Amino acid sequence: MSGPPPILRLERVTKRFGGMTAIDDLSFTVRRGSRTALIGPNGAGKTTVFNLVTGAIPVDAGQVFVDGRDITHVPSRKRVRYGLARSFQNVRLMPHLTAIENVMVGQHCHNGGLFGVLQPVNLWPRNRWREAARAALREAGLEQYAGATVKNLPYGVQKRLEVVRATMAKPQLLLLDEPAAGLNSAETEALQALLGGICGSGDVTLLVVEHDMHFVGALCDAVVVLDFGRKIAEGTPAEVRADPRVQEIYLGTTITEPVERCHVARSA
Amino acid sequence: MLGQQIINGVMLGSVYAMVAVALTLSIGVLNFLNFSIPGLFMIAGMAAWALIHAGVAWPLAILAALAITAAVSLVVERFTWRWLRGAEPFVPLVSSMAFLLLFEHLAIAWWGSEMRVLPPLFAGTDWRIGGFVIGLPQLAGLAISIASIFGLSLLLKRTSMGRSLRTIAEDSDTALLLGVDVNRLVPVVFALAGLFAAIAGVLFALNYRQVQPFMGEAVGLKGISAMIVGGMGNTWGAVAGGLIIGIAEVLSVGYVGANFVDISVFGLLLLILVVRPTGLFAGLPAGRGGI
Amino acid sequence: MSGYLEGILVLLAVNVVFAYGAFLPVAAGQLNLGLAGFAAIGAYSSAYLSNAYAIDPTFAILFGGIAAGAIALIVAVPVLRTRGIYLALATFAVGQIVQATLLNLEVVGGAAGYPVTAFIRLPTIAAFATGVVVFVALLFATRFGIAVTAVHDDERVADLMGLNTRAFQIAAFTLGSVIAGIGGGLYAHHFSFIEAQYFNIGLSITIVLYVLLGGTQTVLGPLLGAAVFTLLPELLRGSANWRYVLFAAAVIILMALRPQGLLTGEQIRRLLGVDRQGRSALSREPAA
Repeated sequence: MSGPPPILRLERVTKRFGGMTAIDDLSFTVRRGSRTALIGPNGAGKTTVFNLVTGAIPVDAGQVFVDGRDITHVPSRKRVRYGLARSFQNVRLMPHLTAIENVMVGQHCHNGGLFGVLQPVNLWPRNRWREAARAALREAGLEQYAGATVKNLPYGVQKRLEVVRATMAKPQLLLLDEPAAGLNSAETEALQALLGGICGSGDVTLLVVEHDMHFVGALCDAVVVLDFGRKIAEGTPAEVRADPRVQEIYLGTTITEPVERCHVARSA
Repeated sequence: MLGQQIINGVMLGSVYAMVAVALTLSIGVLNFLNFSIPGLFMIAGMAAWALIHAGVAWPLAILAALAITAAVSLVVERFTWRWLRGAEPFVPLVSSMAFLLLFEHLAIAWWGSEMRVLPPLFAGTDWRIGGFVIGLPQLAGLAISIASIFGLSLLLKRTSMGRSLRTIAEDSDTALLLGVDVNRLVPVVFALAGLFAAIAGVLFALNYRQVQPFMGEAVGLKGISAMIVGGMGNTWGAVAGGLIIGIAEVLSVGYVGANFVDISVFGLLLLILVVRPTGLFAGLPAGRGGI
Repeated sequence: MSGYLEGILVLLAVNVVFAYGAFLPVAAGQLNLGLAGFAAIGAYSSAYLSNAYAIDPTFAILFGGIAAGAIALIVAVPVLRTRGIYLALATFAVGQIVQATLLNLEVVGGAAGYPVTAFIRLPTIAAFATGVVVFVALLFATRFGIAVTAVHDDERVADLMGLNTRAFQIAAFTLGSVIAGIGGGLYAHHFSFIEAQYFNIGLSITIVLYVLLGGTQTVLGPLLGAAVFTLLPELLRGSANWRYVLFAAAVIILMALRPQGLLTGEQIRRLLGVDRQGRSALSREPAA
């Protein structure tokens, strides 16, 4: 035995939708404490991987291990107890809750028992759960939005709120689905600062789906590349960039992408 | 005796089937449970009564009742659909419920809440075949129902409008992309649904000769049950559902007692919803496609 | 207090209770079209207890609520596996079955109706109504309120965050039915006569509509909806029938113009100045 198990391990996972195989015999690991990127062209199956890991959809074959424990058949509702939390590609905040209430939903797994549910969190201003949520917002620089109606907030703020909400579960593994998509440079910097703060202590492992290669390059120390639901490459960013199979995928697809990719490849 | 009851059940069932088809059209094409349809059923029946009562010749009264109801259905379309697309999905359902309430109480305001009786227009026209009695209006009603549903089927399968409607039923976004003029077709759906509800209402009025402002609740709601039992979104399923419910009801009255009819019918509905919500004849994604 | 005024306030109180009976499931994302059926269970069971066993009406009414809740719980477990239209229709079927069953129950009068001997007046009724409003307000000030709203807004995501969505839906449905049962009991013990024909789909629809009119995003919305439904027609002095016509027309127009109802969460927050932070911060944000 060489130390604790990887925080996430997929073992020959397959998922089919009708006649189409979305995820094909996929195996990879995520090292504890790492910041791993899950990249690949559109339709490669990245979000599907997230859905399989969180249990939103069941696997057709294979196993998923979190922290060494087999969660393949654990119902989605209970997976958060294994230390998983995620954010979503299209922001999925609850429109009828304020920002701080949305964040408090993230606390539910710690406060959801019968007594927890009946805690008057919205009655006394000094309730400790509310205070914890407010503190999280403060650390993220979002405290001024606490009472706001979320649908009126700027997109960048909403995306960061989603990340904060996910952290409230105190996860071991944070799954972020395109957290930087649609953000301008100021918002991206704010997000990077937020993520830096979250991962700083090394208690939280990050698995990020992203298309923005600058973002990935700045943030991540490990990369897994998917295409057509299969693993193409796995390793450090440098290793992956140099991998000819990876270059082929990116250079061979869209016209808009390659310039970025070339820059990234050459600056390695 | 059983045979006669089955015949009566088929007659009643054809009324339910027409209402069920009207509902199915709305659900199938627009994915919207149109609660105003029981109200339209009532309007047609009471309008037919009112016109005949005022001395209008019955063929004219029937046509006028159908036309009025179809027109009212278009008004409903304005307020539940046209101006509300993009709003919360529950809004059309809620507005249609409000319309049902509106129609019922307007009917009470105009005609009072008592039951109204139609004159016996077709006395002495019963056919006797091998010990069974079939009234002319019953037979005509059954024939008209079958013809209407066939006509609808043809419309949906053979005409370009029908094809467009089926495209919208499959996927309204794709339909838009394919250039289907949804705006022009939605009123057609409402008008057709209104027409079917109206035919059912007129048939009911002429056959059972009793109308009252809440008749929509009594009959229309069984139409909803018929639609579910047969499979939501499936026209022929709706017909089958209507016949099943009609026959079940008449047999219930005959063998179990009139008191338990409603319990049986709605019990069946509940059972199907919980056990097999797609209805008896689906293989279709519930509520979508399969017109 | 004049008899007329007392009559109006009694009606208001009963409608308020019914309103919260409809509000609870709607807040969790479900439409209970069988609400009148649960009101009927409460009405009939409480009336039977106070008639046959001379139980004090207050306790009879509470028991009626519990009886309605028990039936709701039994029904909810299978029915709440359905969603959307199917759920609405299943609850509708339940309401019809209850009504049809009561119509045939000779021990409580059957189709002839059931007279109720005990009589309660405005103070008792108002106390019940106030109790219901306070209970629901407090309940929504707890994490339950946040959880139920989360389930309403996005059931999938709520589930992924660890919420037991089914439990919350069943809880909301059951509590709503308890409240509706209490409303039925109040109605029975003041109007002294109940008949199954009254507890029909039209009643369920009416209650749901005035709750939606008031707005379902806040705990005060149902109160406003019940108040508008009860009081506004009094100002217009029409017959009972025209009240429904105007009400239905108002709902139709409101759904066209402002489907979220009269009171929204955003509005209340703005009224209380809490949302200022959201909006003023908006103006400071760089162009996105």
